[in-house]
Amino acid sequence: MNRSDVAWVASCPLARVLSFCVDLPTCPPVHLFIPPADETFALMDSPQKGLKRPQRWDIPFCDDMDDADVERVLAAEPFSKLDGSKFRGKVTLEGIIKNDARLMRCQSGQIIVRNGDWGNSAFFILSGAVRVELGTVSDAGVSSEPIDVGRRDVQRKSLFQVVAQLWNRHPEPEYRGGGDAAAGVASVSQGSGEETQVYLADVNAVLDKHLTARMEAPHFFGEIAALGRTPRTATVFAEGEVELLEVRWQGLRDVMKRDEALKQQIDQAFRERALLSFLRSNRLFEHLDDEQLSTICDTAIFETFGEYDSAQPFKDMAQQGVDSGFEGEPLVAREGGYPDGLILIRSGLARLSHKHHHGHRTVGYLSPGHTYGFDEIRASAGQSSHAELKNSLRAIGFLSVVVIPTHLVEELLLTKPSAVPVPAAKPGPADPRDHADHTDHTDHASDAFLEFLVDERFVQGTAAMVIDLDRCTRCDDCVRACAATHDNNPRFIRHGPVHDHFMIATACMHCSDPVCMIDCPTGAIHSDQLEGQVVINEATCIGCSSCANKCPYNAIRMVEVRDERGGFLREASSKPLVQATKCDLCVDQLGGPSCQSACPHDALFRVDLNQFETIESLVS
Amino acid sequence: MKSLSIRRRRNLGILLLLSIVVIVIDRLLSVSLYPVAFVSGWLLFSLVALLAAYNIRKKLPFLPLGSSSTWLQFHIYGGLLSGVVFVVHIAGRVPNGGFEVVLSALFLGVFFSGVIGLLLSRWIPPRLTTRARDSQEVLFERIPIFVRRIRDEVEAMVLECGSQAESTVVPAFYASRLKSFFERPRNFWSHVLHLQRPRLKLLREIQSQEGYLSEVEKSVMGDMVERVKQKDDLDYQYALQALLKYWLFVHIPLTSGLLVFVVFHLVLVYSFAGGIR
Repeated sequence: MNRSDVAWVASCPLARVLSFCVDLPTCPPVHLFIPPADETFALMDSPQKGLKRPQRWDIPFCDDMDDADVERVLAAEPFSKLDGSKFRGKVTLEGIIKNDARLMRCQSGQIIVRNGDWGNSAFFILSGAVRVELGTVSDAGVSSEPIDVGRRDVQRKSLFQVVAQLWNRHPEPEYRGGGDAAAGVASVSQGSGEETQVYLADVNAVLDKHLTARMEAPHFFGEIAALGRTPRTATVFAEGEVELLEVRWQGLRDVMKRDEALKQQIDQAFRERALLSFLRSNRLFEHLDDEQLSTICDTAIFETFGEYDSAQPFKDMAQQGVDSGFEGEPLVAREGGYPDGLILIRSGLARLSHKHHHGHRTVGYLSPGHTYGFDEIRASAGQSSHAELKNSLRAIGFLSVVVIPTHLVEELLLTKPSAVPVPAAKPGPADPRDHADHTDHTDHASDAFLEFLVDERFVQGTAAMVIDLDRCTRCDDCVRACAATHDNNPRFIRHGPVHDHFMIATACMHCSDPVCMIDCPTGAIHSDQLEGQVVINEATCIGCSSCANKCPYNAIRMVEVRDERGGFLREASSKPLVQATKCDLCVDQLGGPSCQSACPHDALFRVDLNQFETIESLVS
Repeated sequence: MKSLSIRRRRNLGILLLLSIVVIVIDRLLSVSLYPVAFVSGWLLFSLVALLAAYNIRKKLPFLPLGSSSTWLQFHIYGGLLSGVVFVVHIAGRVPNGGFEVVLSALFLGVFFSGVIGLLLSRWIPPRLTTRARDSQEVLFERIPIFVRRIRDEVEAMVLECGSQAESTVVPAFYASRLKSFFERPRNFWSHVLHLQRPRLKLLREIQSQEGYLSEVEKSVMGDMVERVKQKDDLDYQYALQALLKYWLFVHIPLTSGLLVFVVFHLVLVYSFAGGIR
């Protein structure tokens, strides 16, 4: 079947029905993506020219912000203290407030952000006060159980909408309705304020049951999730009437870039609050009271490795891959050294390695929530000689750790041994060190696979596409299913690095730290609020390619978008309009990732490589 | 993998049990002079219809109809059970009459092409993976592109060699022996049968030319050997991946034919079965 045949099948309704009824197994899906080779394909006829290339603020965060609102916000703290002269060029302070922010008026008890939801914005309190939930008060003390009311279900297509995909699929690839990519499919501003609001029925009861902190103007909150690319760490609700300014993180980042004082203020708050909420969520510290926790907060040291705001070092390392060894991976702690503190991984990933003859063997990796050095500190407690660190710890890309000095660990965590639940701080994943009795470690297949995943940085993936090539018949049902659920456009390439019989396909892995989001000017690429998948809003993607350039795995493709006749949409300079596309994990489909459910041979899995136990189960 | 072997054993157990049930019911109904062919016929028709429905499931991946893997398991074991029901239905006799022969042949064609497809889908992927470790995993649709790229490189090498060296050994050898090799996929069945003979033969032929070559030509021939190996690896991938794809060209048209004949069969049976039912 050649391209003209494909076009005929795509354009002729009768042919489409026939192709549905009569299976043609070797025919690629209508737009099966084949990585570009040397050929240059003829351009489609009648391209639309003279369109305006979408710009960052074409679709503002909220349509309702007018000049009066902007002036009022600029007169309030902390914006009144900002030096407007530092905002030059296209990105003005007024522009940021008008396009990257929105005003919110909340009633008493209204939940503003909820613990566990994914967020991409921070909130400045303009008037009134909010309550930040810190934990649940009970006879047993304060626990970290969050307020959990009014949680929305994930928005998925209805059964009718799912079935309608059968006839709604457009015959042309990468079709964008309306002839204007910027005003594309869902041309609504992100913060249109039409979301369902959730209120606490009895604020007083919540205040009785939960430990809360009061915040009022000119404080801010939500910066941890907005800047940390992590879920919200606390629930915040309005106490009385409150007016807030919600700023999406792209705007916040631009303000911080230009105003050092605000940057420091936000950074400081970010660090303090992040540490407190981080410690509260950790089982290791569950039995500690507020005073002990604040002692730890005062004494703990924040350390970061790699650049947080840049994906480049990470990308370079991923591209250097196996050949680089451990070069470019900053050493956090050295094997054989003295454990001068308990290290908690706050964000990023760290490699655990053990000296093996003339080299180092990777024995595991630590993800957020894991601890390092606890066993050694415990073994040394009360002994005249200290226990040496069993493994080296190295940062993979950006790593943020909290170091709690040894004497504090001994004092607060080891004086009551029964209070310490488990050595590994994070429940769920097995501690890699449990598998790391390295001297008699003989599972070389598992070792090699682990080394491969860490070297190639695939351990970042929370939904990596792993294909067992010993079972895969190369039937491309996964690609066809992906295309069928994405308007005939496959969103991944069934090709990628192979180790033994496992292939890591070129599909978005929905990284635990999605560096692709770092430079997105519009926030089009973002974490889904409820489940955290990394998704792209076509309506606000301006085709700047920053996400595609940042992705270390080349999982984001820039595609030329087309009109309904298949002609490329072009701007005035005749350059085609492009948009970023990638796997969205079928976030709106009823049956989950269609690639996985379409694999007849159980060869394709979407797996969380962030969890060490996943790798073990794969290899076993 | 452990869970897959458990699943296989479980499904085989269920298949065995159902086969016994079908045979026992058939015997019991036969003893009671019940027109058992109608029961087994409708059972067979239902099974074939359900098995054919798998193709519809494949076409509608966005509908929550269960995983394709579950459907395939049903397809495999339901297909095997249909073989048992088929034998029961024809009462073990050899079909006579043109229509019956065609119908039976179609069923057997579908059945055995399915079994062969199943064996291929279990046998070929590990072989592809093993060979890909030495070369690389390639997408089937890209193989012609890679082949053309190799051919272009080789032709450029030959042309350059012809202009640099004073002898015509390399161009002549290329024209007589290698040109056809690089033109399109070769040695299909040798690759399918995992025979290395054509590859070794070609490499030996190249080696036999070495005595006639200058240093420059030897270097070119050395590069050409690498390209021959690459092309042979691509041919291997092509042959096995094509086999994995093309067996469906037998299975699915036969299924379509079978469904048409089954409908005719039903019409004929009920047209001439007035006295029986």
